Amino acid sequence: MNEIIVVIGGGIAGMEAVGTLLSLGHTPILIEAGPKLGGHVASWHKLFPDLSSAGELVSRLQEYMKGANIFLGTRVISLNRLADGYSLKLSNGMVINASAILLTTGFQLFDASRKEEYGYGVYDHVITNSDLEAWLAGRADARVPKNPEHIGFVHCVGSRDIKACNSQCSKVCCATAIKQAIEIKEKFPYARVYCFYMDLRLFGKKYEDFYVNAQRDYGIQFIRGRVSEVGETRDGALQIKAEDTLSGKPLKLRLDLLVLMSGIVRNDSIRELSLMAGLETDSDGFLRSVDNEYSVVESNRPGIFFAGACTGPKTVPETIAEARSAALSAHRYLQRTTIIR
Amino acid sequence: MTDFGFTLSCSSTLDLGKVDNDKFEELCRLEPGAGVCIGCGSCSAVCPSARLSGMSVRKVLLAVRRGRNVREMLQCCMLCGKCTIVCPRGINTRNLILSICKLYDD
Amino acid sequence: MMTERFETGFHPFVLPFLAGMVFVLGVCALKAVRVVFELNKADRKKWLLSLLRPDLILKNILDIVLDCLIHVRLWKRNRVLGFMHSSIAFGWFMIILLGHLEVLMYCPERLSTFYYPIFFDFFIEGGQTAVISRLMDAFLLIIITGIIIAFIKRFWSRIVGMRRTARPSFLNLVGLYSLWAIFPLRLIAEQYARAGDLNAAPWWAYSTALCVFMTVLPFTRYLHIPSEMLLITMRNAGVEISSPHRGMARVQADSCPNCGVCIDACPMNADPANLRHSTVYLTRQLRRGNEARIREISNKCMLCGKCTSVCQVGVDGPRMRILARATEKYRINLHFAASDVDSSAIGESGGGKSKGALLYFSGCMSQLTPKIGRSVESILRKAAVDYEWMDRDGGLCCGRPLYTAGRLKEAAELIERNEELIIGSGAGTLLVSCPICYREFREKYRLHGIRIVHYADYFCELMDRGRIRLDKGDICYVYHDPCELGRGCGIYDTPRRLISKAAAIAEAPKSRVESVCCGGSLGSLSLDFEHREKITRASLENLYASRADAIATSCPLCLTTFSRYSDRPVKDLAQIVDEQIIL
Repeated sequence: MNEIIVVIGGGIAGMEAVGTLLSLGHTPILIEAGPKLGGHVASWHKLFPDLSSAGELVSRLQEYMKGANIFLGTRVISLNRLADGYSLKLSNGMVINASAILLTTGFQLFDASRKEEYGYGVYDHVITNSDLEAWLAGRADARVPKNPEHIGFVHCVGSRDIKACNSQCSKVCCATAIKQAIEIKEKFPYARVYCFYMDLRLFGKKYEDFYVNAQRDYGIQFIRGRVSEVGETRDGALQIKAEDTLSGKPLKLRLDLLVLMSGIVRNDSIRELSLMAGLETDSDGFLRSVDNEYSVVESNRPGIFFAGACTGPKTVPETIAEARSAALSAHRYLQRTTIIR
Repeated sequence: MTDFGFTLSCSSTLDLGKVDNDKFEELCRLEPGAGVCIGCGSCSAVCPSARLSGMSVRKVLLAVRRGRNVREMLQCCMLCGKCTIVCPRGINTRNLILSICKLYDD
Repeated sequence: MMTERFETGFHPFVLPFLAGMVFVLGVCALKAVRVVFELNKADRKKWLLSLLRPDLILKNILDIVLDCLIHVRLWKRNRVLGFMHSSIAFGWFMIILLGHLEVLMYCPERLSTFYYPIFFDFFIEGGQTAVISRLMDAFLLIIITGIIIAFIKRFWSRIVGMRRTARPSFLNLVGLYSLWAIFPLRLIAEQYARAGDLNAAPWWAYSTALCVFMTVLPFTRYLHIPSEMLLITMRNAGVEISSPHRGMARVQADSCPNCGVCIDACPMNADPANLRHSTVYLTRQLRRGNEARIREISNKCMLCGKCTSVCQVGVDGPRMRILARATEKYRINLHFAASDVDSSAIGESGGGKSKGALLYFSGCMSQLTPKIGRSVESILRKAAVDYEWMDRDGGLCCGRPLYTAGRLKEAAELIERNEELIIGSGAGTLLVSCPICYREFREKYRLHGIRIVHYADYFCELMDRGRIRLDKGDICYVYHDPCELGRGCGIYDTPRRLISKAAAIAEAPKSRVESVCCGGSLGSLSLDFEHREKITRASLENLYASRADAIATSCPLCLTTFSRYSDRPVKDLAQIVDEQIIL
């Protein structure tokens, strides 16, 4: 088997796919635009619901894909369709003729400063979920105060919000918020932690236990009401406004730290790539699979496959499973085309 | 049948089947957004009238759907439109309020 | 040598013309009388008195000549359209005038017949040698050129620079084609008569065309010809629309020539579904009295005021719509101010008691755009201005949303409450950052000497007096004129002056009075969110065309709306100024 499979995107999906392809006897090439592998997960602290280390997962994947060809800091400049595959020109000057392409280009986080009413970039103590994750993983952040007494989490920032141009649920933020609430409560045991939600969507394995844990063992308060204004009091303290919909009263709360759960939106940096490849976009803005039930990893183009969050928000286990599935689909695709030839 | 005394009509129970749905459907024709509220409370949180009068678009819409009176709740709206701006479902809340004012007596 | 061809000076073909003439004059007179009686007492008095003032008489005549005959405003906007309209209007007027002059010179005793000037060549032999006759021929040719352009425009409107024109109704088409027929028919009939052929058939055709045109005139857009003259006198007298259908509103609706300039101008028409809500269709429905459509058109409009700013006759579309909204009957009324709500809670958060200080009012919307208030505060601090922020923790609405929704009484009640709060604060100056509030304060509030100032003007003053100094940055901004600040209050220059001191500045193809509404306007009652997106994107495209790095505006609503879809940064004027202040 000497056909080349190019995997674009070195996040966990790309890494898992490359590892699987290697084990199937292929020689995949991994192209990553950034300086390192692991994608978003590499800068995270812990994963839910078992609170296992994100860094360990990335190291494991790195081990799994040992021996693969990897181009870091490299982008696809052009992509042309050939009779039996695709020709890719890379930013490092290389030209690759690939028989199959696997897109694992992932997602980007909603830019919280687009919702100015939440005050990200305006007020001192407003951070996003990824800022907090990085802080938890050890990066210093002046916005996190020394001894916060009141910490608030806002769910659905840039998700399920037609005004943020994303009306879909980002799927992972509810569980992430609970995870981060627990972690920050462990860091600041005396702080009061609040989660402001519209609906709690805790659908995954053991998520409900996780939720109960947060309520019972960590005393995290869940308030059903979407925060819609963040302001400052006369003495300069952060103050949020929401409606406590269960008691039917407008609510205000002074906070020392506000965490915005930025949602998952499509990766804008692959717009050109998808245009060059002739890939379609679904109504939610993500790449369109052949169908959203059976053939999620297949694109409308023969020989191009998807895995992970490039087709929509995914959890870590879903992404890993999809990457394996896509690798297998690419493998079967190449076997078929070889036999035909 | 033996009367155990539990059949006394309980006025605090909401009998959803008895709510005038035709009127609500009429409201949905005037403002299609009326049907898609998820009750997040954003509208009430930003409402400048809310902290003075307790005005809440979410509650008004819920009351309409449950067949309860809304006159008192609605009166204090200033039509400022902040609720329309923040609604994550894109409901034209001003049109909703005016449509309710048009259709409902109380 | 001129001689009369007929002793009687009569031929039956003049009868259609005469019938049409009597009819149109009668109907127009009745319409004018009705309009005058529909005016409220004060306006009627104002108008009648204005007709006696020599300066206004002169202005009326001048305006009528410039607007109705020469179409100066249309010339300025579109030369081809200007030529087309003025060739027909002015040419026809000159033909009528010269026709009368001709009769006056050669057979003054026939002046009382009405039809002699119209059919002169049939009744008088040898007229074609006179200078006047030559002049009239020249004007007739100019008119026919105009009609050829009109013909082309009817089928290829883009040639005259119009993307869309109003759909004519059946009667309007009858009027249009009869108008087009009049002049070629006249030319043909005259050629026959001058050649000595007194065949009456072409004259019958000419007279019939005139008759048809004059008969349909009161029911078509051509009513604008007599109506605009009345409108000009009323406008010069200072009469404003005070009823949605009657009086001044009726004159304005009747004066709409259906030219369709407002269709291309309307920002809502970024979505073709909204074409039918343009002001030209509002005036048409007002004439027809179609209440359901009037309501639909009125509720949809964003009240950006662009149609009025481009309108050739000055139809005040937004005002008509607000008053039409005011006729809506609600079963529940929104009586915030009449309720027993205690608004003293407002005072506790702001309303500084220091006499003579500056009171800053940011408005409801600005709470969703915290950068505006923070920047204003920061600038005031840097300029060492003593200020109080009246609605830092929220306040009452300024009343404009209620007013634009047609809830005039409720808005007035709210305004009264706010007036008490502001006057009670003892401030000398009210600084406003939201253009919606600013316009309402300026137009509707009575604040007994408290100066109302928009922050663009105020910061310009601070800059001129050396209280703040700006460092010119590298970013290039394109400034978007918010509807309420630009067309609403005429503030175009101070924001640009501030930006040009703080950064480079570019102009969008459509700016100032032509600025395209951002689509977030509170003016519309029924426009839903999905339909607004197209408007916003079209407005952004106009701004992108300037090739600026970033967009500047001075309205919290524009800021929020643009931020949703813009591919480049959107900033408020205050933020830009604050970032570039040299300490």
